[in-house]
Amino acid sequence: MPLETEAKAQVRALLADLRPGHGDLLAALHRVQHEFGYLSGDAIEVTAQQLGLFPAHVYGVITYYAEFRLEPPARVDIRWCSGPACRARNGGGIRDAILATLGCAMDGMTADGRAGVRLGQCNGTCELAPQVWVEERATHTNAIVGGLTAARAVRLARALRDGATAAAVLADSTITGGAIVGDALPDTVTAGATHA
Amino acid sequence: MPSPLELYEALRAPAAAAYAAWRKPVRPRIDVALDTSSLANGAAKTRAAIADAVRARNAAVDLGRVHGYGMQWCQPLVTVTFPDGASVIYGPVAPADAQTIVDIATGALPARHRLALGTVAGAVAGVPSMRDHPFFALEPRERRVLASIGLTDPESLDHAIANGAYHAAARMLDRHQTPAQVRQALVDAGVGGRGGGNFPAGTKWNFLATTPGEEHYVICNADEGDPGAWVNRVIMEGDPHLLIEGLLIAAYATGSRGGFIYIRDEYPLAITRIEQAVRDAEAAGLLSSGGSGEGILGTALRLELRVIRGAGSYVCGEETGLIASIADDRGMPRVKPPFPATSGVFFKPSNVNNVETYANAPLVLRHDAPWYHRYGTERMRGTRLFSFSGDIVRVGFMEVPFGVPLAGALEACGGIVPGHALKAVQSGGPLGSMLSAELLPQLDMENAPFTALDALLGGGGIVFLSDAVCTIHMGEMFAEFVEDESCGRCTTCLRGNQRMTEIYRRTIAGGGRREDRHNLELIDRTLQFSNCIHGQFSPKIMRNTLRFFPQEYERHALGHACDALTCAGLIRFRVTDQRDPALAEAQAICPVGAITGAPGARAVDDATCIRCGACTDVAPRGMAREAAPAAPRVIALA
Ligand SMILES: Cc1cc2nc3c(=O)[nH]c(=O)nc-3n(C[C@H](O)[C@H](O)[C@H](O)COP(=O)(O)O)c2cc1C
Ligand code: FES
Repeated sequence: MPLETEAKAQVRALLADLRPGHGDLLAALHRVQHEFGYLSGDAIEVTAQQLGLFPAHVYGVITYYAEFRLEPPARVDIRWCSGPACRARNGGGIRDAILATLGCAMDGMTADGRAGVRLGQCNGTCELAPQVWVEERATHTNAIVGGLTAARAVRLARALRDGATAAAVLADSTITGGAIVGDALPDTVTAGATHA
Repeated sequence: MPSPLELYEALRAPAAAAYAAWRKPVRPRIDVALDTSSLANGAAKTRAAIADAVRARNAAVDLGRVHGYGMQWCQPLVTVTFPDGASVIYGPVAPADAQTIVDIATGALPARHRLALGTVAGAVAGVPSMRDHPFFALEPRERRVLASIGLTDPESLDHAIANGAYHAAARMLDRHQTPAQVRQALVDAGVGGRGGGNFPAGTKWNFLATTPGEEHYVICNADEGDPGAWVNRVIMEGDPHLLIEGLLIAAYATGSRGGFIYIRDEYPLAITRIEQAVRDAEAAGLLSSGGSGEGILGTALRLELRVIRGAGSYVCGEETGLIASIADDRGMPRVKPPFPATSGVFFKPSNVNNVETYANAPLVLRHDAPWYHRYGTERMRGTRLFSFSGDIVRVGFMEVPFGVPLAGALEACGGIVPGHALKAVQSGGPLGSMLSAELLPQLDMENAPFTALDALLGGGGIVFLSDAVCTIHMGEMFAEFVEDESCGRCTTCLRGNQRMTEIYRRTIAGGGRREDRHNLELIDRTLQFSNCIHGQFSPKIMRNTLRFFPQEYERHALGHACDALTCAGLIRFRVTDQRDPALAEAQAICPVGAITGAPGARAVDDATCIRCGACTDVAPRGMAREAAPAAPRVIALA
């Protein structure tokens, strides 16, 4: 029996109502990632035990999906919309401006982990194209900033790179001026929970 | 034991009273649209400002919520409902307009106002009906699937029931129809799958119903992965009980006791609303839960619905990928047969339909086939939802009869933005189409005219692209998408799409070669041997582009030029006016420090410049984006 660390006990408690052969794996992974920010080796082990799966199977599922992470996320991510309406309005230039400002590749982050960039998919708010989402881990903020230009994206990325909080950046018109700052979408912590 | 209809009536009567009181409120009410689009446009800030204004004035006004009516370009939308039952939509309503809206609600200002877009109930002098707005010119006078949108609180089961939800299901359960009769009603109406394939839903339900075994499942495909398509989102956020009733009807018709609604990760509000609606339906005895308690509306029928949240994978929208994803596996599509009706989730017989397909089932049972056939064409019956985006004046969603001209839809969308002309129509998502403007007159909104052009109408998303857009640049985006989203099962798809993407990347980087065309065609032929439609259809946009935009392709591949000035390796940025004071800002904003030199002698270091366009954003007069001089310079080899 491997050592029961505190981290494992926490994951176990989080998944207590989930069970094998019941289609609960996605819900389990969402819950753990929402709580801890990523899926650690311990989390994989406990999830596998709880759902009667091999750890290798759980690992295989995690790596299949774009949204699951094996490493802690950045403090704030800029999620860049890769969709057509955004791309038609210099979305590609906006991406390159963000990557250059943060000095990382897509789905990467600054060396100090303050700000990252993630590939996003169109969610049907194309009236705001081109757009990004600002996702802050600590506050579970997920707000859209639309009507971007490459210049506005650089200002946004610089502020986040330099440590500003999502709330501060979204409220600061010297950073977001001219862009359309949306409100946070619901933080669906319970999503995927089963009625088991 | 009361009958299902009696039990339903016990729900309906108080619901109808509650809804009637909401429709004709004692005090005026302000409903801020709360949906993904409105929130993205700042509706929560608008709502907070209105709440503050009401409190500050102690105004005799209530606050409520609706789903936006379709005019996303006017978000945040706000509806004011007066005690006589008249409702006027205003938009866009910024927080600064809060006082005005409260004044309109209290009568201090006339309802007729520059922000007024139209009425959705009753009549107000000087305000046109929303039904007369040009954006809805193609919609039937009476909406069908969208009937409750904007006229109910989407989080209220009472509002749904007062508008007819679950009545058809209750009648069905009250022995008005056998399962076979329900399936036949769907067949007679000719409801086709709205996921894009138009496969007859009634026929598919027959497959499942006639498969032996006790444990059958109904599965709702709410993965809606095509960028530019968000019509499933509207149903889930705007009228969740319509979908749940559709699943209930399907479960009864196919002998299913379990169901899954698989919603993409990108739709948190839809997930929240559907989960809440499922809980409300359970509490009202319209769904079963937890393996205990009674059957639905006092009958033996049981249906437990579960919401599954996806995690970012396009091919999980393919039905066998979706099934694998629900059942704790990597969401990889597999070879068919066996079809889901034989071996679905947990290897049990299952039926997969799109959100909008299920949403049509209650409508069919509430009416009949002739009613259903009033709209649409012989081949595609009824109406369908479309979302329109791209370089158009009005971005939003609408419900139109199958077969209406796409040119009419572009007109409803206000046409292409001023100063530009239509260049391309992109429908059907990344596996869909890239059609040129001159084909527009041939394009009626049903599958046949699109298939005839080797294109795809698809799941409801249509993107209009202007002459400011380059189809090779867009092609690279879609190639990258299909490459990224390949599940990896077939080498043809995984490697073929990698090769296609590399060629696109090299071409937009300025390194197009003569042999590329031959290789693209070879990749196309090879991809046909992929197991699922993802691989088979992934070269469609490239094929469309070579066929309908041959000059643009040749210009890039052989002429090393991008006339739309979007492809990074074929353009450059240059200082054109040293006197522009904005050059200082341009120098400061450049993320790579490519603009060097002192005032009066500024220049762009071409080797450093990444062509993002930040400099021309801030100094459009002093900086220019222009065609790169002849000798192509390869920015980055793929
Ligand atoms: C790669 C791929 C992605 C798909 N994505 C979706 C989707 O997001 N939503 C959907 O309803 N159907 C999607 N489909 C079609 C489904 O496989 C299936 O045909 C559909 O859900 C059946 O429902 P319907 O008959 O009601 O249209 C996709 C197919 C493929 C090959
Ligand atoms: S394309 Fe970016 S929001 Fe739709």
